[in-house]
Amino acid sequence: MDNLYEAIFKGNAPAAKVSVQEALNASRTPQEIIDSSMIPAMEAIGAEFEAGRVFVPNLLLSARAMKVSLDILKPLMVAEQSASLGTVVIGTVKGDLHDIGKNLVASMLEGRGFKVINLGNDVSKERFVEEAAANDADLVCLSALLTTTMGYMKDVVDAVHGAGLRAKVMIGGAPVTAEFAEQIGADGYSSNANDAVALAKQLLS
Amino acid sequence: MTGKERIRTVLDHKEADRVAMDFGSTPVSGMHCRIVEALRRHYGLDDHPVYVHEAGQMLGYIEDDLAEALGIDTIGCFSPNNAIGVPNRDWKEYRMPWGQVVMLPARMADSFTEKNGGLYTYPEGDNTLPPSGYMPEGGYFFDSIERQNGEIDDDNLNVEDNLQEFGEVDDATLEYWKTTVDRAAESGRAVVAGFGGMALGDVARIISMAIREPRGIRSVAEWYMSTVCRPDYIKEMFDRISALAVRNLEKIHDVVGEKVDVVYVCGADFGTQTSQFLSVDTFRELYLPYYKRMNDWIHGNTTWKTFKHSCGAVYPLMDSFIDAGFDIINPVQIAAAVMDPQKLKDEFGSRITFWGGGINTQKTLPFGTPAEIREEVFRLCDIFSKDGGFVFNSIHNIQANVPVENVVALMEAIKEVRS
Repeated sequence: MDNLYEAIFKGNAPAAKVSVQEALNASRTPQEIIDSSMIPAMEAIGAEFEAGRVFVPNLLLSARAMKVSLDILKPLMVAEQSASLGTVVIGTVKGDLHDIGKNLVASMLEGRGFKVINLGNDVSKERFVEEAAANDADLVCLSALLTTTMGYMKDVVDAVHGAGLRAKVMIGGAPVTAEFAEQIGADGYSSNANDAVALAKQLLS
Repeated sequence: MTGKERIRTVLDHKEADRVAMDFGSTPVSGMHCRIVEALRRHYGLDDHPVYVHEAGQMLGYIEDDLAEALGIDTIGCFSPNNAIGVPNRDWKEYRMPWGQVVMLPARMADSFTEKNGGLYTYPEGDNTLPPSGYMPEGGYFFDSIERQNGEIDDDNLNVEDNLQEFGEVDDATLEYWKTTVDRAAESGRAVVAGFGGMALGDVARIISMAIREPRGIRSVAEWYMSTVCRPDYIKEMFDRISALAVRNLEKIHDVVGEKVDVVYVCGADFGTQTSQFLSVDTFRELYLPYYKRMNDWIHGNTTWKTFKHSCGAVYPLMDSFIDAGFDIINPVQIAAAVMDPQKLKDEFGSRITFWGGGINTQKTLPFGTPAEIREEVFRLCDIFSKDGGFVFNSIHNIQANVPVENVVALMEAIKEVRS
C-alpha cells in the first residue's frame, strides 16, 4: 500500500499532494499513478461506505484528496493519453440549489475515472442538452432534493432523449426512487454516491 | 382536555383523550405560506395575507382561528428575528413570484434584488452586503448562499469565529420572551419555544443567512468533513456553546418559568435518506456530552421537555438521542432507510416521544390520492399513538406544491382519527 493510496483513502489532501509529487519524482506516469494508487483508493473508501463503516464526510474528504491530486496530474497529461471511462454531464435541476450530494457523485465519478462536466445547480433542460451535445456526453446525471423540483427531471429526460442525443440519463436525490426513474423514462437511479459509480459503469457497458 | 394537557399527557407516555397534534409550533413542523393561505380559504376564515414568520423556508404563521379550525394543540414562540436576522415586525405586503401576496418584515421585503428571475436576500436586510440567500426562478423558499471566506487555514482556525452568532441573552430579548410566552400560554395550547443558542452543528445555522460577515467554517461540506478531521475544534465549539446556552437558559427560565412545555433544542440533521452522517461512536464522542449538559440542566431545573429534530435514517442513533436526554424526536422520517414505524415504536416508544411521522411528505402527501393519505394517517396513528408518546405531524414542513385537496384530506383524516 503506497503513501498516495493511504492519503486518498484517509482523505488527507495535504499528504496526497506530497505523495503525488513523490510518485512523479519516482518517474511514474500520471496515468499509472491514477490507475494504480488513486482509483484503487477511491474504490476502497467506496466499499467501506457501502459496508456502513464510513460515512458521507469520509467520502467528501477522500474526494477532495483525489481532486487535489488530479489537479496536479491533469496538466501533465495530453488528452489522447488520458483514459476515461466516459464523459458525464451532471447538474442539479432548475429551481433546486442543493448540490452537496450531486457534487459528491461528481467527485466519485471523477475519482473512479470518468470525465465529469459539473454544471452546478438550478440547471435548465436547455443547458443540459446543450452541454451534453457539446461534450458528446455518454451520460447525463440529474439531481433534485425537493419534491417541488423532482418533477422537472422528466422535462430534462424528455429534452435529452428528444434531442436525439446518445447520452443515457441517470437520476438521484433524496425524494427520488427507482420507481420514479422508471415513470419518467430515465435510464437509471442510484440512492447514493458510491452506487452511482457502479450504475454509471453498468449503463455504459 | 386542553391542548396543553393533551400534549403533557402524551409526553408523559400516557394516552390522552385523543391523538395530540402539532402544526406550526416549530420551524420543522409547519406549513409553507401557500398552504396556510389555501387552508384559510378552505375553512372559510378571514381572507388576508399570511404572515411569513420563518422567511427562509417561507413558513406561514398559523393564527388562532386556523389553529382552532384544525384542532392544533400547540403554539410556537419564535425568535424575535427571522432567518435573515430581521425582526419579525413592521409587516408589509409583498407579492411573491408565484403570485401570492404575503406579509413580510418591511426591512426584508424592501431589500430584495432580482436577477435571472430569482430573488436575492441579504443579511439583516442590508443589500450593501453580498447576498446570503437565493430563491431561484420557480422556487418557493430561500436557500442559503455559502459564504465561506477562502480556504480554511487549519493553522489559524479560531473557534471564536464559529461562535460569532452565539451571545449572552440581553434584557430586551428576555422581555420579549416573557411577553411572548405569557401571551402564548393564554391560548391553553402547549407552548413550544425556540429560544435558540442550543444548536450544535446544524448546517442551516453554520451557513446562516443572518450573519453579516461569516467567519470560521461556513460551508456545509467543510462542516461535515470537520466532524472527521477537526474533532478537537468541534468539541471546543460545542463546549462553549453548551456552557453559554445553560447560562442563557437560567436567565430565560427566570422570566418565563414553567409556562413553557417544550423547548426546541437543535435541528442538526444526522441522517441522510439511506444512512447517517456519522457513526454512533462519533455521535457519542462529539455531540452527546454537550447535548446532555443542556438537557440535564433543563430537566434538573424546569418542567420543560426537550425537542430534537433530525431528518433521515437515524434509527441507529435513537438510543444515543435518548441517552443524551432528549424527550422528543422529530420528524420521524419513515420514508428513510430502516425507519420502520412499528420497529421504532416497539424499540424506543416508551423512552422518547415521536413528534411527526404522521404522513410521508416525500411521496404520499404530495403525490398520493386523498384515499391513500387517509389510509396512511390511520395506519401510522394506530402504530404511534398507543400508550402516548406521539404528537401527530407531517414529516417536516408541508411544502408549497402539495395539492390543496391532499392537505385537506390530511386534515380531515386526522380529524376522523381523533373523533
